[in-house]
Amino acid sequence: MIILSIDTATDGVSVAIAEGTRVLASSEMRSEKQHAEVLTPMIDFVRKQAGVSFGDVGAVAVDIGPGLFTGMRVGIASAKAIAQVLDVPIIGVTSLDILATAVGVTGDVIASVIDARRGEVYWSLYRHIDGKLRQVTNPQATAVEECALQVIDRGQSTLFVGNGALRYRNEIELVVAGVLPSFAFADDMAASPSAVVLAQIAHERALRQEWQEADSLVPEYLRLPDAEINWATRSAS
Amino acid sequence: MSANTLFNDSTVVLGIETSCDETAAAVVMGGNDVLSSVVATQIDLHARYGGVVPEIASRAHVEAMNVVIRQAISQSGVPIERIDAVAATVGPGLIGALLVGVAAAKSVALVLDKPFVGVNHLEAHLYAALLDDPYVEFPMLVVLVSGGNTLYVEMRGHGDFSVIGQTIDDAAGEAFDKVARFLDLGHPGGPAIDRIALTGNAEAIDFPRAMLHEGLDVSFSGLKTSVINYVRKNPTVSTADVAASFQYAVVDVLAAKARKAAKQIGAKSVALGGGVAANSLLRSTMTTVCAESGWRLVLPSMAMCTDNAAMIASAGWYRLVADGPSSLDMGAMPNLRLT
Ligand SMILES: [Zn+2]
Repeated sequence: MIILSIDTATDGVSVAIAEGTRVLASSEMRSEKQHAEVLTPMIDFVRKQAGVSFGDVGAVAVDIGPGLFTGMRVGIASAKAIAQVLDVPIIGVTSLDILATAVGVTGDVIASVIDARRGEVYWSLYRHIDGKLRQVTNPQATAVEECALQVIDRGQSTLFVGNGALRYRNEIELVVAGVLPSFAFADDMAASPSAVVLAQIAHERALRQEWQEADSLVPEYLRLPDAEINWATRSAS
Repeated sequence: MSANTLFNDSTVVLGIETSCDETAAAVVMGGNDVLSSVVATQIDLHARYGGVVPEIASRAHVEAMNVVIRQAISQSGVPIERIDAVAATVGPGLIGALLVGVAAAKSVALVLDKPFVGVNHLEAHLYAALLDDPYVEFPMLVVLVSGGNTLYVEMRGHGDFSVIGQTIDDAAGEAFDKVARFLDLGHPGGPAIDRIALTGNAEAIDFPRAMLHEGLDVSFSGLKTSVINYVRKNPTVSTADVAASFQYAVVDVLAAKARKAAKQIGAKSVALGGGVAANSLLRSTMTTVCAESGWRLVLPSMAMCTDNAAMIASAGWYRLVADGPSSLDMGAMPNLRLT
């Protein structure tokens, strides 16, 4: 099956078209701005490079976040519209899953950590169990120290990945150094989710028909709008 | 207007609007034949905050967009692959909200291999009046009054217009909202004041009419302040009388400036647009003003006064005919103006 994969959840735009496990074409741009300007022409370009027509696309995959609200909605709104017009299913994958998949098979705990601004990170922990990547904590938005403390609780060697891990590298090291058997940081290349990795996950999910209708796909924000947080605080006091 | 023969009376445009708190899609043929118009309003989501919250609006747009497009397509009876072009509001509006509609519209256009056209929301409001009455004569004065704008626009022909007057501070709809909030009448304020004013005496309080005699610009900030001061000094005053007197003052100013503007441009017709165009006193006053002066008044239906996507598809059709499609690398322009 040919799958169109779209990622605009963090600091960039990336698009891939793959058939099975083979990527036919892909493109990537790294900037926090102009997701909407870049995405549509990029899809057009990648489709042409892949040598397929939209009618050949059997499913659309998209990074549903967490990430930058405005940027991620550009990809999600686009993917949902494309899936609707093509009348094909949509596969929503979290940015944290994509990052954890990108580092490949390892015996370490994988900590996917995305910069959430305002001193917080979106994060989740993963492990490879029987050769399969498993999410072992619920995704959360917390201060980076909370993430590091929960990593310590597990006491296992850990690989940190994502732009949040790199931004708060010092803070994480302060907590985990000397406590964990070992730890490492995935490099810059793996810091942001990529549509090429998303395509890989989407292929596996498509084989199991783990997909949904475009109408029902919702983003994974992990954080309420400020107005709702303030409202709840005011109502509580 | 150039004769862009690619686009004609049988051209079917899908319009998408997400600039504020309505998620809307519509299918319009030939610029003014509305085949469907679907609006999903978010008023309830924002009510408790006393105004539109941008992040809440953007989230709601993502959730509603597909369903709204699906309904607009199915109600139009035109299969989606028979759509000839896709239009979307690119500004002005809330950036995050606009981007949802722009991204969806460009994607639909790309996949269908049909042209995309970005539309100025304010220009679309000018066309909203024409959707109900397309054979109007130019020059036309359009009085565009909403929560975000109060504009007097001279329209010499399709796509040929200029702003000849505007508010120097609050928009008329903004004044309605602020006064309604102060009087505890709820949000949105326009309909609330309109309703309670029916039971009040509009001449009970003589609120000031700002700048009635200078140019075509208007101001509502001072009026809002004097309403607040009056109620603080007279706490037992009837809310209905305050609402009626306030509304009378706003409409008095809007209508006086409209009369002056229409005379100045030698108007053959006058049209109202924007949410405040739904105000009953403004509609009846403008009906009298235009009847006295022999101008044909174009009063849009209530559905065309407020934000909708039929006006976006219509304005998009006129843009396509005049200038052709927009590029797919177009983004949102939150501060776009009417020029
Ligand atoms: Zn509007």
